Amino acid sequence: MKTLRQYLRALLNAKRLLAYTFLLCFFLWVTTPFLMILLKSLGRNWFGKLWLPPEFTLDWYKWAVTVTNIPEVLRNTLIIAGIAVGISTLIAIPTGWALGRRKIPGKEVIMSTILLPRMIPPIAYALGVAQIFYRLHLIDTHLGVAIAHVAICAPYAILVLASTFEGLDERVLEAASVCGANNLRTFFHVTLPLVMPGILSSIIFTFTTSYNEFTLTLMTYGPKTITLPVRTYLAVGEGYWEVTSALSMILIIPSLFVLFMIQRQVQPEKLVGGFKGV
Amino acid sequence: MSDWMIELVDVTKRYGNIVANDHVTLRIRRGELMTLLGPSGCGKTTALRCITGQNIPDEGRVFIDGKDVTDVPTHRRELGMVFQNFALFPHMTVFENVEFPLMIRRMDKAERAGLVRDALKLVRLEGYEKHYPRQLSGGQQQRVGLARALVYRPKVLLLDEPLSNLDAKLREEMRFEIKDLQRRLGITAVYVTHDQEEALALSDRVAVMNKGCVQQVGTPAEIYDHPATKFVADFIGLSDFIPAKVLAVESERVILDVQGERIAVPPVASVHAGMDVLLFIRPNDVRLRAAEGQKLPNEIAGVIAKSTYLGDKFDYRVDVRGVEVRVQTHGAERFDNGQAVYLHLPYERCRVILESLVCPVR
Repeated sequence: MKTLRQYLRALLNAKRLLAYTFLLCFFLWVTTPFLMILLKSLGRNWFGKLWLPPEFTLDWYKWAVTVTNIPEVLRNTLIIAGIAVGISTLIAIPTGWALGRRKIPGKEVIMSTILLPRMIPPIAYALGVAQIFYRLHLIDTHLGVAIAHVAICAPYAILVLASTFEGLDERVLEAASVCGANNLRTFFHVTLPLVMPGILSSIIFTFTTSYNEFTLTLMTYGPKTITLPVRTYLAVGEGYWEVTSALSMILIIPSLFVLFMIQRQVQPEKLVGGFKGV
Repeated sequence: MSDWMIELVDVTKRYGNIVANDHVTLRIRRGELMTLLGPSGCGKTTALRCITGQNIPDEGRVFIDGKDVTDVPTHRRELGMVFQNFALFPHMTVFENVEFPLMIRRMDKAERAGLVRDALKLVRLEGYEKHYPRQLSGGQQQRVGLARALVYRPKVLLLDEPLSNLDAKLREEMRFEIKDLQRRLGITAVYVTHDQEEALALSDRVAVMNKGCVQQVGTPAEIYDHPATKFVADFIGLSDFIPAKVLAVESERVILDVQGERIAVPPVASVHAGMDVLLFIRPNDVRLRAAEGQKLPNEIAGVIAKSTYLGDKFDYRVDVRGVEVRVQTHGAERFDNGQAVYLHLPYERCRVILESLVCPVR
């Protein structure tokens, strides 16, 4: 009993040690699955009895590229994400402007309606979308899948842009016109540079959302519109764990790149709040 | 060339049912600094926005330098403006902010750099060219705003409560800096404020506004010594208003009945015997003495109701037959609560004010 108490006290005294222990656990908890996939995708003859694979190889990546037709799948994914980003941004700019800068009765109601597709279970929503799209012959088209994605991409874009536009200071625009700038030049020299970070972050958010989307794609895709997440899922069914792992790694890379970009260039914590702090 | 740099002629501006400017006529001379003074909602900002063109008046015309600019858009009016919240461009450096009006005017790059340097020197901000607005203090930001407004030498400098976002000490400092700058450049300036002290300290002339109309236009001394309306008297400095009746109008003086006593005051136009008026006097112009012996001319009797020690002066509330009169004295003599006193209202310090007069400058 006495030794236990001493041990606990020592632990409490070593607060720093404790904190680092927790941090390490958390780090492992988050990264181990990724590490497993990485090792699996690079290892040969590794069935989990050893700490590390006995041999390393890039064969599974070659397989992934050839067997699962990565170039086309990646092309599909990017085209769909591109269309989804385009439509979402086009919808979100005027909507965000109205919500951020105009006095609209029932603004909260409109806001929560816009967020509705994100609240309900995606599978239920996807079922409804699929039924309508079969009638409209939008199934297995890039546009169709992209439109399905817009339903969950646009709310992000609208939220981000509404807060960006809300943070835009009317008096700064007035200052520009007193300084002699007409509407067009005010827009290009002042308004656009001020909202650009917001638009960029909206594009990044919508792009990653569409790029990673699985459920909605699963209900609307066809042989011509297989995306990376769906292809990965199908590969699981085909039973080649190593190839699936290689696919997952390929799927992860762009997300990591975007994350890196956000961290270094755009600083999301500044963006979401608009420019109120300035 | 007309004497007036800016003219608002009979300008009316309505927002729905609210009349923000009610037939406002204002004329501002070349090279003078005029303050639009009044409480919030008095229409001073509306009047300023009519000058900038951010408001289009419903009626009336606006002239700048003799030209009718009523329908000219803001960006072609050639103005410089300083804003209450600074309104700097947050994505531009100090240099780029000041350069902006020149860049918009497509001026040569080398020439721009020289003018920006001059403007930053003018506001004592050399060496801050590469800073962003958020890295500067409030006072520095407002100096950038000033440099941006002055850099292309506009005809008119407009200042919309430029100091109210700064702390008290800095405010006083900047006040003199702005005044000095305006004098040196000889630029016509319109200064909007609700701070009467600022207005008196800065202005060549003050236009006092209330409820959408101009109450009085004059030098700070005129405004302070000869307020045209009860509002002006009340808004600037401390004041006593004592109800009175006109007994007689003579060539050299007007005789008033103030609570049953005869008080002579300087003559005024548009009063006649039997009229109800207000006798206006500043509390520190009233002389107090203990009620001993005969009352002298222009004295009325009262009783000290309340006395307050304010350090450099005493503040008394004197009861004159039911009317409270405030008196401030700097003398050593002290009066106690309940003491009977005589109040001397010096002839030359008394003014007659008509309470019914609300919108005298049309």
